[in-house]
Amino acid sequence: MKFDTVIIGGGLAGYTAAKTLIERGLRCAVITEGLSLKDVPLRSLPCSLFVGDRVLSADVEDGRVLALHTLRLEDEPLEADNYILATGKFFSKGLLVDMDRIYEPIFGLDLDADQDRAKWFSTDFCADQLFLHFGVKNYGGGRVALDGVMLKNLFAAGELLSDISGIEEDADDRIRKSAAEAAANIR
Amino acid sequence: MKNIGREFDVIVIGGGITGAGTARDCALRGLKVLLVERNDIADGATGRNHGLLHSGARYAVKDSESAAECIKENMILRRIARNCVDDTQGIFITLPEDADSGYGLDYQKQFIEACHASGINARVLDPKEALRMEPSVNPRLIGAVQVPDGSVDPFRLCSANILDAKLHGAEIMTYTELKSFIREGDSIVGVRLLDKKSGETLECRARVCVNAAGIWGHNVAELAGVHVGMYPAKGALLVFGHRVNNVVINRCRKSADGDILVPGDTVTVIGTTSTKVPFEECDNMSVTREEVELLLREGCALCPSLAQTRILRAYAGVRPLVAADNDPTGRSISRGIVCLDHETRDGLKGFITITGGKLMTYRLMAEWATDAVCRKLAVTAACTTADKPLPGSEPEDQYKEVKLPQFAGANLGMKASVGRQGSMTEKIDYTSEENRELICECEQVTVGEIRYAVKELGVTSLLDLRRRTRVGMGTCQGTYCIYKAAKVLAEALGKPEMEQQLAEEYLSERWKGMSAVGWGDTLREMEFMQKVYKVGKPTSFNR
Amino acid sequence: MQEKNISAHNFEQCQKCAICTTVCPILANNELYPGPKQAGPDGERYRLKNPIFYQDTLKYCLNCKRCEVACPSGVEIGDIIQSAKLEMGKRHHVLRDTMLASTDLMGSVATPIAPLVNATLALKPVKAVMDAVIGVHKGRTLPKYSHVTFEKWFRKNAAAAQEGFRHKVSYFHGCYANYNYPQLGKDFVSVMNALGYGVELLEGEKCCGVAMISAGMLKQARKNAAHNIGVFSKAVAKGNKVLTVSTSCTLTIRDEYPHLLGVDNSEVRDNIQLVEKFLYQQLSSGRIKLVWKEGYKAKAAYHAPCHQEKLGWANFTIELLRMIPGLELTVLDSHCCGIAGTYGFKKENYEVSQKVGKPLFDNIAAVNPDFVACECETCKWQIEMSSGYEVKNPVSILAEALDLEATAKANI
Repeated sequence: MKFDTVIIGGGLAGYTAAKTLIERGLRCAVITEGLSLKDVPLRSLPCSLFVGDRVLSADVEDGRVLALHTLRLEDEPLEADNYILATGKFFSKGLLVDMDRIYEPIFGLDLDADQDRAKWFSTDFCADQLFLHFGVKNYGGGRVALDGVMLKNLFAAGELLSDISGIEEDADDRIRKSAAEAAANIR
Repeated sequence: MKNIGREFDVIVIGGGITGAGTARDCALRGLKVLLVERNDIADGATGRNHGLLHSGARYAVKDSESAAECIKENMILRRIARNCVDDTQGIFITLPEDADSGYGLDYQKQFIEACHASGINARVLDPKEALRMEPSVNPRLIGAVQVPDGSVDPFRLCSANILDAKLHGAEIMTYTELKSFIREGDSIVGVRLLDKKSGETLECRARVCVNAAGIWGHNVAELAGVHVGMYPAKGALLVFGHRVNNVVINRCRKSADGDILVPGDTVTVIGTTSTKVPFEECDNMSVTREEVELLLREGCALCPSLAQTRILRAYAGVRPLVAADNDPTGRSISRGIVCLDHETRDGLKGFITITGGKLMTYRLMAEWATDAVCRKLAVTAACTTADKPLPGSEPEDQYKEVKLPQFAGANLGMKASVGRQGSMTEKIDYTSEENRELICECEQVTVGEIRYAVKELGVTSLLDLRRRTRVGMGTCQGTYCIYKAAKVLAEALGKPEMEQQLAEEYLSERWKGMSAVGWGDTLREMEFMQKVYKVGKPTSFNR
Repeated sequence: MQEKNISAHNFEQCQKCAICTTVCPILANNELYPGPKQAGPDGERYRLKNPIFYQDTLKYCLNCKRCEVACPSGVEIGDIIQSAKLEMGKRHHVLRDTMLASTDLMGSVATPIAPLVNATLALKPVKAVMDAVIGVHKGRTLPKYSHVTFEKWFRKNAAAAQEGFRHKVSYFHGCYANYNYPQLGKDFVSVMNALGYGVELLEGEKCCGVAMISAGMLKQARKNAAHNIGVFSKAVAKGNKVLTVSTSCTLTIRDEYPHLLGVDNSEVRDNIQLVEKFLYQQLSSGRIKLVWKEGYKAKAAYHAPCHQEKLGWANFTIELLRMIPGLELTVLDSHCCGIAGTYGFKKENYEVSQKVGKPLFDNIAAVNPDFVACECETCKWQIEMSSGYEVKNPVSILAEALDLEATAKANI
């Protein structure tokens, strides 16, 4: 299926980006593995929703994302001119962590994350936790890179970015702002 | 100093399983008992082990005395502590690599003979039979032996002993620290205590003091002016998210790290390691990355699916071994019971140390210690703890015999509390809808069970409550329930202002255990936990 | 080690966020039901501890899978609950469940005497008896049985004509099209033929087993599944796709066979598809062309059945319907209709079932369409009975809107 923009992630960032683009008259699709814990009226968006689906892999060529392959659509790829990645941090699986590595699972985007695990957690539950500041490296306005090479039609928004931590008091405002910035890259 | 001048026959120092068992035994024999514990009951090694109901098979080859003690106590606990024991059975498996290192089927033969010699019913299983009995076991096994292992809930066991001691007149003081002994000439005649909650000090006198403080007994002995050479051996363990196995899985070889996998209540535990640690570390154990890797590696040899199973947390305890030789691993030390009458040993009257041993033999340790106390007090009452069931453990089949009110569509909470509190559940008023409400959904803990624990089981904090009810011990480690539990507990304690402090204390403790295994779904949970407690409410959890 | 956690139905991936409880249509309407979180992953840990924790209240789950769709952790909550029900069902099930669940057995008994059965089932006293004896609620209109099955019609009237087509598809018609509403099967054949595809029946399909699964009839469901996989394999070996018109049959065959019944379908799974997905993909790759009737005009409201939400293919149907020039399409808010296969037929579920569906019925009434578009036969019964609006399968809508002759010419 072809769209103007495909937004991956149906949380506050994905919803905000989709709403912005739809209002600009773009044909959008939102794909999200589950529903957001935030009260986001995702189902009210006049666009194609793929709720309960998951992007398994992406075709990337010469710095451009060509298509996404999903769990449910199987042999039918999702294609678009532009893509917005708004998959959040750990809970929403925007970042995956196993015993040995931390990575962004769909594209393998460049991250800001300390490799020394001893620093990840403060023993004081109430203190700031370093791992909550990890994320995809933001090259400005949600521009992201893969192995140091900037991607031309993929932009990240929301908590997936290392410079936004959901714990902060103004997090929701910053998430919305980052979604608007990512959407602004799309003309 | 506030001198309440209370007089007891015996003061037991330490609220672990040994102290609890000793207090119960003394009380059952008619003695006036005080038990003092500097933290909560079961806070030390009692609450930081596998919860394995040893058959004794593990010790059969090297230490037949311990093995025989184990199987005897095993059979006793099945009778007196039904509510704390789960008769899972156990298997000792032989893997191809064991054969390469000299622990092949020849060793299995020797193992079975040793089991039989110690009175342990060991039966050879065909590998296929073993796989049917426990589908999660490593399918590469070349041999297996079935033994009467099981699991035992050490929190519940300790709490039931304390409860029975109380029912027989014993006084229990938790969060009360021993500061010094009162000495008159060559006799210990009492203790000076610090009530840690109120900051008050007090004195209590008794004709005998029993040092049952586990590894901390080393310091207690020093306070009394005698030396007991103890040996702190740290053991690390991992908790997996659900019951992966239903049968205890052991390796049929010389005891080593990470070779026991025990299904306990709703989880599975792998352990343990053995590392000598300095005494200063005993109060603040943490599990290292190396220990986690080792336990996982060895765990996967027992049960390969552990490689893909969520680890909820890691924890460690310290074995109170009595230093006997210079073995750096601590493995060759006998787990035997050490009961010291310091009058004959050191010329100090009125002081007994009970140490060594293990969870499995706590009742026997208590019996020995109580016998020693009785000798000093010229009391002739006989020990009855081998026959008298613990409170809650009277019914043969608790789920059938414990009476619960019937409600259409009732949640699992009432039944789950029967699983934990046994027949004591009848003390919870489940006709009240509020009491039926679930607080901890992972572990099915109701408002009623929390209120019961506060009223009857000496709970002062959420950490105490966890040891009585499993609150917050499940998949989410308290993320979803602790704010609710804190409210119910604070109200039940009559201290609503403590809500925040109770929750914070609990979460900090969970956080430590989760941090050691902070990846995968556990890390996801950690982010979620941070958000639940730090976002969108008065940011008192956020500093 | 520890690269990926794997547990049965991902039950251990649950983070206890409880989002599932906010979308469960039963939890909000039946206080006896503990909800997907408790009946699912929470309860599972206790069932693993001791079978005493299997609970009768699991039966209130209607298996809509909305909890699974909403879950951010990929936990197959519905499957966990269904598996537990099956485990319990190994012990007992009642006559009523057997009757409702054996859709092809009841169908084949009822069809030869259809007018009689239909009249009988519609009679009030009979309904009262059914209510009392086997627990089907008397307020419920039971599905009508057709006098001539689809298969019989097909062999007599259509089979021969299929030989002439170069491309073939196999058709899993399901119990509903066969026994209750053969017109749907006929519409499927006309549409496929017009698009240049010959239709072949499978070599003796059996009921997919969805109702048996929900009644806990594990053995029979497994038997049907194993049989069906056999006939699918034969069709796939010939190079045919197997097309279906029912979302629930499709979900059952593709996902529940391996997840709940332990029947391996990996060899055929990808080749079993809803006709809407197949048609969309053929169209977008330019392999087929559609010619619409002049002057076709209708106002439709699309209801995505719960199992369509789970399959994740609703957008294929929506895009397909949007291509119809004269069709004014409203996509209804995603909401369970309350029937969930045989669930709503049971006396103890009737009221809850109607309560669950009410927002949907109200929504339909507000849109006031000519008809409702929906790929599920049990949704159709429920919506038609409860809202008064006619429900049409998208295939039937295509059959009406297409100029079949012109389309056939365009696809030679």
